[in-house]
Amino acid sequence: MSISLKLSLLFFFFIILISSLNLLQVNSESDSDRVAELLHLQSQSKSGVIHLDDRSLNRFITSARARSYSLVIFFDAFQLHDKQELHLKELRFEFDLVSSAFLSNNKDTPSQSKLFFCEIEFKESQQSFHLFGVNALPHIRHVGPQVDQLKDSEPMDQGDFARLADSMAEFVESKTKLTVGPIDRPPVVSKKQLGFLILAFLASAPFLVKRILVGDTLVHDPKVWLSLSVFVYFFSVSGAMHNIIRKMPMFMSDRNDPTKLVFFYQGSGMQLGAEGFAVGFLYTIVGLLLAFVTHILVHARSKKLQRVIMVFAIIVSFWSVKKVVYLDNWKTGYSIHGFWPSSWN
Amino acid sequence: MEDLEIEKGSKLRFAFGNVLSLFILLLIGVLAFSIRLFSVIKYESVIHEFDPYFNYRVTQFLTKNGIYDFWNWFDDRTWYPLGRVIGGTVYPGLTLTAGTLWWILNSLNIPLSVETVCVFTAPIFSAFAAWATYLLTKEVKGTGAGLTAAVLLAMVPSYISRSVAGSYDNEAVAIFALIFTFYLYLKTLNTGSLFYATLNALSYFYMVCSWGGYTFIINLIPMHALLCIVTGRYSSRLYIAYAPLIVLGTLLASLVPVVGFNAVMTSEHFASFLVFIIIHVVALVYYIKGILTPKMFKVAVTLVVSVGMIVCFAMVAVLVALVASSPTKGWSGRSLSLLDPTYASKYIPIIASVSEHQPPTWPSYFMDINVLAFLVPAGIIACFLPLSDASSFVVLYIVTSVYFSGVMVRLMLVLAPAACILSGIALSEAFDVFTRSIKCQLPDLLSDPQPAAGDTASENSAVQNDIVKVDKHSTAQKSDEGLKERPSKKNRKKEKEHVEKVSVKARKEKRLLVLPLETSVIAILLLVLLGAFYVVHCVWAAAEAYSAPSIVLTSHSHDGLHVFDDFREAYAWLSHNTEVDDKVASWWDYGYQTTAMANRTVIVDNNTWNNTHIATVGTAMSSPEKAAWDIFDSLDVKYVLVVFGGLVGYPSDDINKFLWMVRIGGGVFPHIKEPDYLRDGQYRIDSQATPTMLNCLMYKLSYYRFVETDGKGFDRVRRTEIGKKHFKLTHFEEVFTTHHWMVRIYKLKSPKNRIRGKTKKSKLKTSTAAKLKKVDQGKKNPWH
Repeated sequence: MSISLKLSLLFFFFIILISSLNLLQVNSESDSDRVAELLHLQSQSKSGVIHLDDRSLNRFITSARARSYSLVIFFDAFQLHDKQELHLKELRFEFDLVSSAFLSNNKDTPSQSKLFFCEIEFKESQQSFHLFGVNALPHIRHVGPQVDQLKDSEPMDQGDFARLADSMAEFVESKTKLTVGPIDRPPVVSKKQLGFLILAFLASAPFLVKRILVGDTLVHDPKVWLSLSVFVYFFSVSGAMHNIIRKMPMFMSDRNDPTKLVFFYQGSGMQLGAEGFAVGFLYTIVGLLLAFVTHILVHARSKKLQRVIMVFAIIVSFWSVKKVVYLDNWKTGYSIHGFWPSSWN
Repeated sequence: MEDLEIEKGSKLRFAFGNVLSLFILLLIGVLAFSIRLFSVIKYESVIHEFDPYFNYRVTQFLTKNGIYDFWNWFDDRTWYPLGRVIGGTVYPGLTLTAGTLWWILNSLNIPLSVETVCVFTAPIFSAFAAWATYLLTKEVKGTGAGLTAAVLLAMVPSYISRSVAGSYDNEAVAIFALIFTFYLYLKTLNTGSLFYATLNALSYFYMVCSWGGYTFIINLIPMHALLCIVTGRYSSRLYIAYAPLIVLGTLLASLVPVVGFNAVMTSEHFASFLVFIIIHVVALVYYIKGILTPKMFKVAVTLVVSVGMIVCFAMVAVLVALVASSPTKGWSGRSLSLLDPTYASKYIPIIASVSEHQPPTWPSYFMDINVLAFLVPAGIIACFLPLSDASSFVVLYIVTSVYFSGVMVRLMLVLAPAACILSGIALSEAFDVFTRSIKCQLPDLLSDPQPAAGDTASENSAVQNDIVKVDKHSTAQKSDEGLKERPSKKNRKKEKEHVEKVSVKARKEKRLLVLPLETSVIAILLLVLLGAFYVVHCVWAAAEAYSAPSIVLTSHSHDGLHVFDDFREAYAWLSHNTEVDDKVASWWDYGYQTTAMANRTVIVDNNTWNNTHIATVGTAMSSPEKAAWDIFDSLDVKYVLVVFGGLVGYPSDDINKFLWMVRIGGGVFPHIKEPDYLRDGQYRIDSQATPTMLNCLMYKLSYYRFVETDGKGFDRVRRTEIGKKHFKLTHFEEVFTTHHWMVRIYKLKSPKNRIRGKTKKSKLKTSTAAKLKKVDQGKKNPWH
């Protein structure tokens, strides 16, 4: 993926270099020339997204007073691609989808030359970023035909990024009054694979059914079910779903002292990953020990063994319960108390 | 002769046990009922919060006008001018239940008010739920586990939070219906009786009437049936338990107006139909297997399997096509967010923003099911030793519900019964083992202190121990097996006589299943201690955490208890001092309460079905006075009600909710922009606040004359002095402010006269009138 991206980027640079050689006298260029140029650039890229830099941007927008087309620009920064929370790569991919959807649905119609999808990269086009006044990513802007000052172009609402390609298409449609058309996502499994899977399933089905009828599969082993259900229980009570949905880290560094690590977060609305698993483990271990003592240890022959294991189980369970109660009181700040008769005080 | 005596003795023992468990169950019912009365004792017999007020109002309508009018009720008191169809959009189970209760009591000449019946419906049904839990657990692991589970459920905090006296909401009856439906399913599964299968469908119908959570049942039971089939546990009992439930249950469910054709059209129900097909295919296979010789069967298997598969695939294809044709693949947003937990946070911010749809952290489990969290794994393991149809169902129930509760904290309510059942099983098994160890070893220890006597002692107790085991067995597996074991019980004495003659081999098999005495004693003590901790926690949770009605507030300070009854004061004022057809505008939170307590028409209420309408009110509240007056006037609003906590420090007031009004308003009317109300991204109401904020209607109505209270205008919730202290209202006039200033009611001024001189005069008049508000409290309502 990254290699092909780099290659195509190199390719873009090449084109831009060539085109910028004869850019020096472009100011007098007519509108139709620019459209032709843009169409050419568009056809060079797979998804139809044109890579722009400071110079080409200047040529197509700033110095071109009367334009017949509008541009939708995606602001990218390679250095931020590894920041997961920005979803830049993902959004860039979605932007490609919108672009190719627009191209395939408006092929050879006049609207094809009315709208172009472009991207600029931060490192090579810092000036343009400044001109647009973009200082936070992800960012998508629409530059209409009438826009003179780059800052006057309309940005896409931050909240709309959540719905990915669909909201991008909506944004484009509302600003340009052109239709993007249905977005084709590449299916998760291709048709060939799907056909193969169905075939494989059909072929193996009789064997599977036979084994099920005989009663000799992994699913017939209660131990598998037992460990699965205990695991689901552990997973849920440890609040792992909370960690996944909120993308909580396993631990974080102390704000006052960065060398220290914080594993337990005070306050009941939030928890850290390691904290959840620790308490989930304590929740589960007590039950497991109790079950072990009541169902397996009774069958043991040696009294001594029974005694040792029971003492161990009792101590561990007692400690676990005490620890959880202590942690809970510490975390939530509740003080649970009984309601004794007032004469007892 | 001896045999007869023993039989008599055991019969007596059984009778005594039955009476004892009946008595215990009665006490459990009393416990479940009385632990939920803290809200009545600490406050008063009053309906709680918001939604219960709507249910209460519907029940009042039902008792006054009868069932047919209720069915066709179009409510013109809410969502003015749109109104709302009530009969077809509510789950009628709760209302019908309370209405029936009231009707029965009245026909017995017990004149209780509808409100009293509504307040106590939830505690009564909690007692029923505890009994249903007993029945369910008894089906799985016998009477002892049943009683333990029932007592645990009677006071599990998670359930208490939704069923204290006054919390008159759907969940109060729905949890009972849920457990009872599961019980009847297991009962049918254990007995194979069509009678219970029919009851099961009826109970399912009651559940569908009561709560949208019925989809949990209609997915869990098919899952269990499928699991049984896949693991080779298919039986005719399973067929009887499953097939009638789906046919009758679906027919009955579609009779409920709010469900209607959803019962066959939405994906939540498709799993049941799919399993319905599969179970028929499997039944056919088993039938053919029964009538053919093994050789013939092998030939037939290939045929039947291929035919069955083709039928299955055809049906699956139809289902998939049906599902794929709908945009959300036939699933509602909430169900989808259960299957894919990250779905809601990505796509539906409305669902993700509600606090009870958040994923819980570990302390939530400790708060809501407390020490049961420790015991459940032991229960799961106990259910696997040995695995029966019923116990596998319970395991499936806990696994699915614990997963769902991990996604949404609200579903902790569904987890609670499962946790109680499994903890009940775990506790009962543990007590069984430990008490047995003590019972068998204690007499020997007392009578014969010599360590050498250990062998003979163990022999004696081995037999006793076995008998105990037989007892347990027969109660656990009630039906035919119990009968088979009977003779062995009769022969108990005989066996004791012949104990010396029993062969060595047999004795080795019947080894003593006990644990060391002293550790058993400690373990029992600790378990009892754990139970005691649970009781303390539950009582504390019931008394302190879950009993506040939030319509009456109290606060403890150094000079004693303060009661804030401002809400009812305001609603009473509205009902006594305004015309019957006057419209009252407020934020949607107070819609249900206003219609129920003040009996006045509201613009929006807690049933947030029309976003535009809510946005209109939000926009009015966020606009300057003139614009707001125009919006309200166009809706025929006469009074505006705001909730203000700045004087007493009540944090959930309208100023704190105000940003939501701006957001929701701005979502529909773009001229309302959230940044206009924020100074550098911060929401503030002090002198740094933005001019838009200081001039919007909500600020003005909340802080009008506030400076007169302490001279500085210090807001106790925001902990700051307000930004704009002295101002006058031009288009609204204050008509009523409650004792603690928590509710303030304003009247829209009638449009000004265009003559200049007169305008000035009337302005003067209103400002004096506002100062003397207590003297002039508006016209009297001729209807009261």
